[in-house]
Amino acid sequence: MAAGPGARAGWSRRAQYGLFFSFLAAIAGLLIGLALLALSLVAPSSYANVRGVALDVTAPVSRSLRAVSDTVDGLFSGAGNYWDAARQNASLRAQNQALRRQSIQARAIFGENRQLKAALALREKSVVAVASGRIVGSSLESERRYAVISVGSGDGVASGMPVRSADGLIGRVIDVGRTAARILLVSDRANIVPARMLRGGQPVIATGRGDGTIDLRPLEVGRNPFRRGDIVVTSGTGGLYPPGVPVARVLRLDDDGAIAAPMADPSDASFALVERPYEQSALPEPAPTEPAG
Amino acid sequence: MVRSALGRPGSTLDRAPKKLARAIPACSIAFASCLGLLPVVAEVGWMPDTGFLLLLAWRLLRGDVIPAWWAAPLGLWNDLVLGLPIGMSVASWSAAMILLDLLDRRTMWRDYWLEWLLAAALLSLAELARRQVDAAMGASTPLVAILPPLAIAILSFPLAAWTASALDRWRLGR
Repeated sequence: MAAGPGARAGWSRRAQYGLFFSFLAAIAGLLIGLALLALSLVAPSSYANVRGVALDVTAPVSRSLRAVSDTVDGLFSGAGNYWDAARQNASLRAQNQALRRQSIQARAIFGENRQLKAALALREKSVVAVASGRIVGSSLESERRYAVISVGSGDGVASGMPVRSADGLIGRVIDVGRTAARILLVSDRANIVPARMLRGGQPVIATGRGDGTIDLRPLEVGRNPFRRGDIVVTSGTGGLYPPGVPVARVLRLDDDGAIAAPMADPSDASFALVERPYEQSALPEPAPTEPAG
Repeated sequence: MVRSALGRPGSTLDRAPKKLARAIPACSIAFASCLGLLPVVAEVGWMPDTGFLLLLAWRLLRGDVIPAWWAAPLGLWNDLVLGLPIGMSVASWSAAMILLDLLDRRTMWRDYWLEWLLAAALLSLAELARRQVDAAMGASTPLVAILPPLAIAILSFPLAAWTASALDRWRLGR
């Protein structure tokens, strides 16, 4: 097939000018794009308002779609559960009894723990949850790992706050709209979490790998301290994340560190808790309020 | 004979372009950008940049249907919807349109394979540019990590091309 008439205007002067100015406009678009990009690299906070508004506009779409997919999911799993009711019933009953025994044990340990802490005069800093929201979507077409939750500045969420679920750390807030916020997941490459091993307490650094796993490096050079199945929790260093929140479980070792899977699966967590930073000073300065140019 | 043909649905007479025929390509690209809003919480970003794919498909299908400068506002919409660094798609989409305009003067012929090759080259360039920007933002990705999503994007270009041509036929009432 011969090339289309797109770039050739024939003899008409008017059409030639039209094409020429359209070309100039495209080049102007390219230059404006490069300028915008440079600004978002140098001063990311200058777009905070625009990005917040965009989140507010787009998050309801994801949220309503999520409701639909949840309903469909519920229909299927509900039908499956009904089909399997007798066997599930028996296994749940057995589980229930095991859990009851465990909870009695745990209560005893709790009491003992309280006594010991009182003896040590340790005061625990209570971490207050700011808001709890649903995870409604994620960055599907990017190497970066972001997720969107359904709470925003209207609920008291601010940029920089840590986000966790019942299972462990999810990430931290980076963009805030009125009704939705974007969070940087712990599996993102730009997210570095100071952590320590649950067994032994050795300090480690957890960095996301962008593919749903986390890279763990010990701070002290030496023998690889990890074992398969080791759990890593936040250390509280830096003051952003509260200490003791589970971050990841080791899957396999590599030469001087380990590859781990995040404890909190954002696709599974039905609710995400946004908390205040452990130390108030860890929150970045509020973004300048002038609109992006 | 003619009268009876007029009333029948599916007849070749009495067909016309849709009222908003000129706006449909841009609207479809803006809509394709929104596909990233699907409520899927994925561990890996495997989905291609659907808006860019459809933009390339439209541009390669018809050179005159999307003026080159429309890429900038459409790219801004893509950035805002997907939460990319603002300016990323504005720059890469405009650059792709300009490159295609320049290439149109060079290429003597066009066929399906050449279009696919052009799309693959532009998709790779856009992906590499995005990798550079990510690295500048503190998330440097190894080259092998962008290959699978790039392969998915290149392999799904025929789907985008089919969508664009189907929309084109519907839009022109053919």
